[in-house]
Parts: sequence; C-alpha cells; structure tokens
Amino acid sequence: MKTKLATITRNKKGQPASTEQTVVAETLRIGRGADCKLHLSDPRIALFHAEIMCGVDGVSFIEARGGAISVDGRFETAAKLKAGQRLMIGPFEVIVLPPQSDADLALSVELVDPLKDDLEQVKSQVKAGIKSTWLSKRLFSWVAFAAVLLVFLIWPVMNAMERGHGKESMKIAGLTADASWDVGPLSSAHASFGSNCGACHQEPFVQVTNGACEDCHKKIGWHFALDTKEAKAVHTGIFGDTQCSSCHRDHKGPDGLVRTDATLCTDCHQNLKSKHPKTGVADVADFSKDHPPFKVTMLLPGKTGPEALVRIQQDDKARYVESSGLKFPHDVHMSPKGLRGPDGKVKMECKNCHTPDETGTRFKPTTMGEHCQSCHSLEFEPKATKRQVPHGKVADVIATLQEYYAQAALTDAPIDVVLEDGIKRPGARAGETKRLAGLSWANAKADKISQELFEVRVCFECHQIKRGEANAEPAARWQIAPIAITQHWLPKSRFPHSQHDTNKCDSCHAVATSKLSSDIAIPDIKNCRECHGGNVPVKDKAPGTCETCHGFHTGSPKSGVPPILPGSNQPKLMLKTAANATHVAHSPTARSNGTGGASQ
Amino acid sequence: MRHRTILEYRDYRYLKLAALIVVAVIFAYGWYKYPVGHYGGTPLGYTLGTIGALLIVWLMWLGVQKRRYRTTGDIKGWLSAHIYLGTSLIVVATLHAAFQIGWNVHTLAYALMMIVILSGFYGVYTYLRFPSLMTENLAEDTLESLTLKIADIDREARRLALGMSDEMNKAVLTSIKETRIGGGVYAQLRESVPNCPTTIAVQLIKASAGTAKGEEARKQQDLYGLMLRKQRLVGRARTDIRYKAIMDIWLYFHVPLSVALLAALVAHIVAVFFYW
Repeated sequence: MKTKLATITRNKKGQPASTEQTVVAETLRIGRGADCKLHLSDPRIALFHAEIMCGVDGVSFIEARGGAISVDGRFETAAKLKAGQRLMIGPFEVIVLPPQSDADLALSVELVDPLKDDLEQVKSQVKAGIKSTWLSKRLFSWVAFAAVLLVFLIWPVMNAMERGHGKESMKIAGLTADASWDVGPLSSAHASFGSNCGACHQEPFVQVTNGACEDCHKKIGWHFALDTKEAKAVHTGIFGDTQCSSCHRDHKGPDGLVRTDATLCTDCHQNLKSKHPKTGVADVADFSKDHPPFKVTMLLPGKTGPEALVRIQQDDKARYVESSGLKFPHDVHMSPKGLRGPDGKVKMECKNCHTPDETGTRFKPTTMGEHCQSCHSLEFEPKATKRQVPHGKVADVIATLQEYYAQAALTDAPIDVVLEDGIKRPGARAGETKRLAGLSWANAKADKISQELFEVRVCFECHQIKRGEANAEPAARWQIAPIAITQHWLPKSRFPHSQHDTNKCDSCHAVATSKLSSDIAIPDIKNCRECHGGNVPVKDKAPGTCETCHGFHTGSPKSGVPPILPGSNQPKLMLKTAANATHVAHSPTARSNGTGGASQ
Repeated sequence: MRHRTILEYRDYRYLKLAALIVVAVIFAYGWYKYPVGHYGGTPLGYTLGTIGALLIVWLMWLGVQKRRYRTTGDIKGWLSAHIYLGTSLIVVATLHAAFQIGWNVHTLAYALMMIVILSGFYGVYTYLRFPSLMTENLAEDTLESLTLKIADIDREARRLALGMSDEMNKAVLTSIKETRIGGGVYAQLRESVPNCPTTIAVQLIKASAGTAKGEEARKQQDLYGLMLRKQRLVGRARTDIRYKAIMDIWLYFHVPLSVALLAALVAHIVAVFFYW
C-alpha cells in the first residue's frame, strides 16, 4: 500500500506550508510509537492509535486501535475512506485527498489543537487567593450594612412616623417594627402598653415628658403638699426641674420602675436642713442605726377635728398618752383567767375586737354594737326586763327610762307600783289623781336609775362622765367625755399587718399589762429593728430601706391639706362624742396602722 | 535581633494604653453609683458608650487607612493599636451595656462587635503563626517559581512519557492537564486533595516498576523521579495557597461584620434617642 502524506504546518500568520512524503507499507500504522509510519508525536495520541488498510475491493479503510477516531464528526471504530472525509485522530485533522494516480491513498495531516505551553497550562490550573473566589468583602459588607440598616433602623423609623399619623404598627411574623428597639421588659404596671411605644415616647428625640406620665397619673402627689407659697418655693429649690423620668426608668423588668435605693431619700434627708433650713423633720440616714424614734399622730387631749392632730415622739413620755374619753383596761380583757360573759366564762383574744380591714393592712374600727355590747349590756332593769337604754345621747337615755317607768306605772303590770290602797287589781283603771301620782313616781324612778347608769354602772363603766346641773335639761345633766379614737397611728409609714401575720400580736403590742386606756401600745423602732435591716441588706433580716415603710409622692399638688397630713394619706379619725353618735367605738389603744406612707 | 511581633510593638505601647483604658473603665464602673443601677443610659453609661462608639469608628478607620496605602504613622503601629484597643472594647462595651442583653438591636450591635473582635483574635493568631510557616514551606521559592518548576517538569515528563505505554502516557498527561492547585474557597483551605492526578501518576509509575528492562526501565525511573518532584512541588504550592487563604478568610467575616456592626451601632444610637 502506497500512501502520500502531506503534513501541513502554519506560520504565525496562519499561512499553511506542506511537507509531502510517500509511505509504502503493507498497512499504514498511526500512532506516537516509533514503529508507526504515520508518526504523530503528541501525548494525546496512543502508541498505536489506528491503522489504515487496503480492502480486498481496493478501497482503503481505517480501524481504531489504541485510541479513538472520528470520521466527519462521528466517533467510529472503523470506516471506509472516501475523498473529502475529515478524520480526527486526537488533536490531528486528517483529510482524505482525492485519489492520485501514483498512490493508493493521499492524506493531509495537520495538528489543529496543539498542546498549550506547559507554563501556561500550569498557570491555568493554579488559582490562589480568596480574592480569586466568589467571596467578596465589598459585596458582603454592603449587603450586611443595608440589611441591618433596613431592618433595624429604616423600618422602625418609618413605622414610628406612620404611627404618628395614627396608623397601626406594622407587623411581620408577629413582630412589630420597633420590637427590636425595646431595651427590656416593661414594668408590670406598664406591661399593658405592649408595643405602643408612643404612649410614653411621644416625641422623637425628646426624653419622655412629665406630661406623658401625667396623662394617666393625674392624681400623683408631690413629695409634700404645696399648699403655701413657702412650700412651693422649698419644693422648687429642692427638686427644680426634676422629671418623672429622673427617677422612674422603665424597661427594667416587672419591678424596675420604682427606685428603692436609700439614696433617693438620704441624699436630702440625712441633712435636710441643708436643703430646707426651717424644716422640722428630723434627719435620717439609715433605718438600722440613724432613724429618730417614731412619732405617732394623735389628737390633742380633749380636742377633736383634724386641726387637733399632733405628732408625738414616742420618747416624749409626758405627751405620749391617749385621751380617748373611754375607760378600757386591756389587762382585764386579756386576762388569761378569762372574763364573765353572758354565757359563762370567756377568754378573749385580740381578734375578738380587732378584725382586719378589707386590704388586711389595718383594722376595722371597733364598735360598741359589734364588739362590746354582747358583754357590756345596756340593760337598766335587768331583774325585770331585757330592755336596754339606747347607746347614744344622754337625753335619749333619760327619755327611755322615763317612758319605761311611766308605762309601768300606768299599765296593768307595773313592776313595783302600789296603788293607794296597796292592792294590785287586775283590769283596774286608775283615776286622774292616781295617774299623776304614777307619773311622778315614774319620773323620780327614771332620775334615780339615770343617776345610777351615768354615775355607777352601765355608761359609767366605759365612759368618762361629768355631772351637770341637777335641774338642768336632761341632755345637760351629764357630760360624757368626747370619744377621740386614733385610727391611724403612723400615717407616714405603710405597715401591712397582713404581711406580718406570722407574728403574734403581742410580739409587737404589749397590752397584757396595760391597765389604762391612755396607754399606747404602738411598737417602737427597736421592735421593728429586731427583724428589719437598714440600707445595706443584712443576712437573716428583712429589708429596711426607706422605701420599705415610706412613699415618696405623699403630698398632693391640689388640695391644701397641712403638710403633716399629706394628701391621700390623711389619717382617718373617728371623732365622735356620746352626744352626737349613735354608737361609739372604743379605743383600740393596742394598734399600729398604715396604709399609704408619707415622708418623714 | 529577634523579630518583634505586632503585639510587642514599641514595648507594648498599645497594650499599656489598652490596659489603662480597661482599668480606668472598671474602676469607674465600680466607683460610680447610679440610683437605679448601671445601664447604658446613666452618665457613666453614656460616657462608656461614647468611648466605645469612637473606638469602633476609629478601629474601622484602620481598614480605610490600609486600603489607601497612605497611612499616618507606620502600619505596624496602627495594627498593634487596632488589636489592643479593639480588645479593650470588650470591657468598655460590656460595662456600657452593664451585662444586660436581650433580643434587640442593642444586643445585636454588642453581639456583632464580639464576633468581630473574636474573628480579629483569630486574625492575630494567623498573623503570628502563618508567616513563619509560609517561609518554612517556600524556603527560597515563591508560588511563581514553583509554578515555573512544575511547568519544566511537565515538559520533560511529557517528552519521556511519549515513548511509554498509553496508560502511563495518559496518567502523565492527566497530571499535566488536571492537577489543580488552589481553586475555590474550600479547595484553597483544605489540607489534602483527594484523587490528585499527580499522585495517581506517581503511584502508577511506582506500581509498574520492574515491568520494563534496559533503556525503557531507565526512562521509567527518570519519569518516576520527575513526577515525584512534581508531587512535592505541587504540595508546597498548595500549602502556600492554604496558608494564604487561612490568613485571608477571616477578613471575609471580620470586615463585613464590622460594617454590619457600624450599621447596628447607628441603629442602636438612633433607637435609643428616638425613644429617649
């Protein structure tokens, strides 16, 4: 087999140059092997890649051997060769040329896909540096910046502005736009505001104003009553432009809104004269070691009305005496031996007379009807009747007695009426003379019993009574001392009895040996200090900061109450006299009290 | 003289400065009493917040400075200050926040700041550890010279393999055409490359040792030597790329997160005063 081979090479401009050679061999072996007649020196060519042979019909054909060949674009394992066919053998293009007379076969061979330069090849496979990858600091930075700004700034600001126009808060997945701005949980009192930030934060970039607070807290009191020019001047001097938010910081959890630190008070109160030279309030630095004795708030002896209220320090022994107008020996009532009651012996307990009020803070007033009368009956003629004199005015008592005895004289069954003849006759009717005699008797009897009641028994047992003119009007014959019972001894502190009910009453109120109603059984500061610490928390002791007992907003901005009885904390006094009361409370001398606080 | 690291710059000048800031801030925090306790809105809180915000802005300024190649003072000084003052930010910001955290933009800013600082610590670690490893790995070479050497070997190996079996020739050709050095993020960072064509070629040549004789055997021996050298060169090039990638990759967190931090910081400050 004789084959003509035209090897085509190209110069830089791509112009072809052909080198021709003629190969005579039985078959035309193609490969990079040294024994191949069509020697293709390229690593992509197999040693013995393919072979061209002459068929029995004289037509040449090609067969693949160690490598792949394609004929006119199709991979074939063998193919007959025709003029114009384009074979690809590795990177070589082999064209079957038109038959030539002096050869069996003519082929042109050209390397159409030369190997890359080795250095270029290696370089193309080296990819170094994170910068060469898809990661991009710039892109990431912009995306992160935009995302954070959009979600956490632009959206909430837009939302706040929208809401300023009365629109609802935007929500995504249940979250409001400004939820991400919330610095912490609201106080329990404000929790119901939820995400309504504008309720307090009314103006952007303006601190929460007092007005925002006062929208709801309309009745909040000043620190003391601003009822005089001087008080107002003192207040301005001390507090100046102090805002609500100076002390009340919300978003600090359920209990975080109210300041409980001692410095809130002691900043001024440990040397109050430096703030207010004319103050009558004693200095306080620490409950545990620097707090004046308690002052109880009570009525001046024999006086009634709020103007008679004074504050008496507990160590002022001469004035530390109650004048309730009643006689009440606690020792007798609390006797461990018991008392004689209407149904036999009774052993009394504190709760028999002192029943907690609805809040459990203090006690309901003790009343004659409810607490005394079951033992202290007002029967005036117990042998004959269960009737009692009314618990009220002197004149009413006398009138009741007169009516009773008159009736007795004039009806069929007088108690001890003796008719003229000394004989009691059923159904007998007395004549005019006899009736007048009966009335006269009845009045005399009523006078006698009145005197007994007011001067010896029944009324006299509990009340302080002075005799008036014997022939005066009935109402003026006896003067019952006014009843002035202090219901709130320590109105400037808040003392909830309910929180102390694990203690026995007598651990604070020493009444077992009290013989007189003038005794006051309010515990002193030492008693409180047994359990309560001071500014600094003490192990095994209950808190004893100022705020434990006292409030701050104890003055009213509107009412002109005296500073000693500020605003809503004015002690409720039961000021009644026997002359104007239908029933009279007895003095709860053994009592401490306290709703609401007031400043020291 | 021993090489001084950025941490030791000018006798720990910035360590001392940072320590001073930290001590002063802790002292102020302990000494300062605010009626309702510590938080970001107290006078001290505002002061710490301002210091923190200024530090953040200043530290980010370093990034800009580095990009400009026009720095005030030398770059080592800036970097040393960046590291130490950045670290002091942990204390400044934590005390500014008074240890309060929540699901809000304020804690987001804090968390981003902490991540940025921690990624910075990793950066310091790489700066301290990898340059020496890189020098050790490259010796007198560079990635460029390694590439040149690999190309030379490829040329020689290709020539030698032409006369060898198709299998061996193909293995050598595949090694030349498909040995990837570096590549994507993961490819640059990973330590070993599975199915590396060069390794496969080396193993193939080694396995066929003894199958040839005379001249053929000598050529095979030569080829084996070449491919083995290539394998080592490729390994060193990959290690070099890996070290560089490790030294670079943390910046892809550090920088974008610090930019996100800047945004969160702006949002934090606006939010606080918007709802004052």
